[in-house]
Amino acid sequence: MKKQFMEGLLTKNPVLVQLLGLCSTMAISTSLFNGIGMGVSVTIILICSNVLISALRKVIPSNIRIAAYIVIIAGFVTMVDLLIQAFLPDLAESLGVFIPLIVVNCIVLGRAEAFASKNGVGASALDGLFQGIGYTVALVIICIVRELLGNGTFGGGLLNGGEGIQIIPADFGAKILTMPFGGFLVLGLLIAASQWLVKRMEKKEKEGNK
Amino acid sequence: MSNLKHILRLSITLLLITAFIAAALAGVNAITEDRIATIQADKTQDAISDVLTFKGEAVLLENTPEKVNGVTITAVYETSAGYAVQVEPAGFGGGINMMVGVDFEGKVTGISIISHAETAGLGAVAAADTGAGEAFRGQFVGQSGQLSVTKDGGTIDAISSSTITSRAVTEGVNAAIACASRLKGGQ
Repeated sequence: MKKQFMEGLLTKNPVLVQLLGLCSTMAISTSLFNGIGMGVSVTIILICSNVLISALRKVIPSNIRIAAYIVIIAGFVTMVDLLIQAFLPDLAESLGVFIPLIVVNCIVLGRAEAFASKNGVGASALDGLFQGIGYTVALVIICIVRELLGNGTFGGGLLNGGEGIQIIPADFGAKILTMPFGGFLVLGLLIAASQWLVKRMEKKEKEGNK
Repeated sequence: MSNLKHILRLSITLLLITAFIAAALAGVNAITEDRIATIQADKTQDAISDVLTFKGEAVLLENTPEKVNGVTITAVYETSAGYAVQVEPAGFGGGINMMVGVDFEGKVTGISIISHAETAGLGAVAAADTGAGEAFRGQFVGQSGQLSVTKDGGTIDAISSSTITSRAVTEGVNAAIACASRLKGGQ
């Protein structure tokens, strides 16, 4: 279980290592509120779809598995979308079309194909949870960096009545970072940092074994 | 025969999964439908009272979207103080859904941006509840006729680095003014 957790968080992180679901990651990671909202939505959908697909893995014939997965994923995404629209209208407005687009987010289909279709319900639920946490953590870090350096604020959409706390004067913000290509710059640096961390941990482990 | 069985098995499995998901969706939709409709209606009403100070109710005049000069006019409401025109000009990141209040003299009473997909920190300033956003929207109040941004020889100061958004909002206001004067002329 610990291994699964580390895989989701670092060594097989969906964003930083598998590079899945980058489209929505780049588009919405501009404020903390968006990052948490999107991360939690994807996590819930991942857990639900992993559990159902795992439970049905012996029933679904392999010829039509992709069609069956997409129907299941689309169902859960639409449910989450409707619930967010009804109960969290601010989040719905801010994430816009990217919630429905989770249907085609490769993280969810990727985990269904790579994990849930081969493993038991319990393990699949944990996989969904940990992959979701890994996605959320990566997303939140990108959000914090882009928001702070781009707009000079922290906690946009959440703190200080939605304005966020102004840390750097807005005029000094590097607006480039709030745009998608700025997101790629931040993502690249974050991947480098996570690789460095993984290498360092491996090295320590080797030294510990000696 | 076994081939037929195989095909039947595939289609029936998929049918059952789809039927199950459809039933679950119907359930969630039943719970959320009313709430979503209320939220949408509230948003529209809020936007109308944002742009016009009026007594009584805002009456829906038209709600068949029509496109005039690249700007979609989504709905028109009439109140005791003037018209509230919901327009959707094309911004930098897609349509900007906004409400424009125009009094019976053809002067803009206020504008409110309901939803948009402009760049955060740049075009999104137009809709923000910040000093810069209010200053930008405030420029339209009391204006009439055909407006344009300073870059195009007009009087509206564009949001810095967001000429496309500023132009779009200005076009939306122009369409609303034109629409209101057309309605008034028709009376």
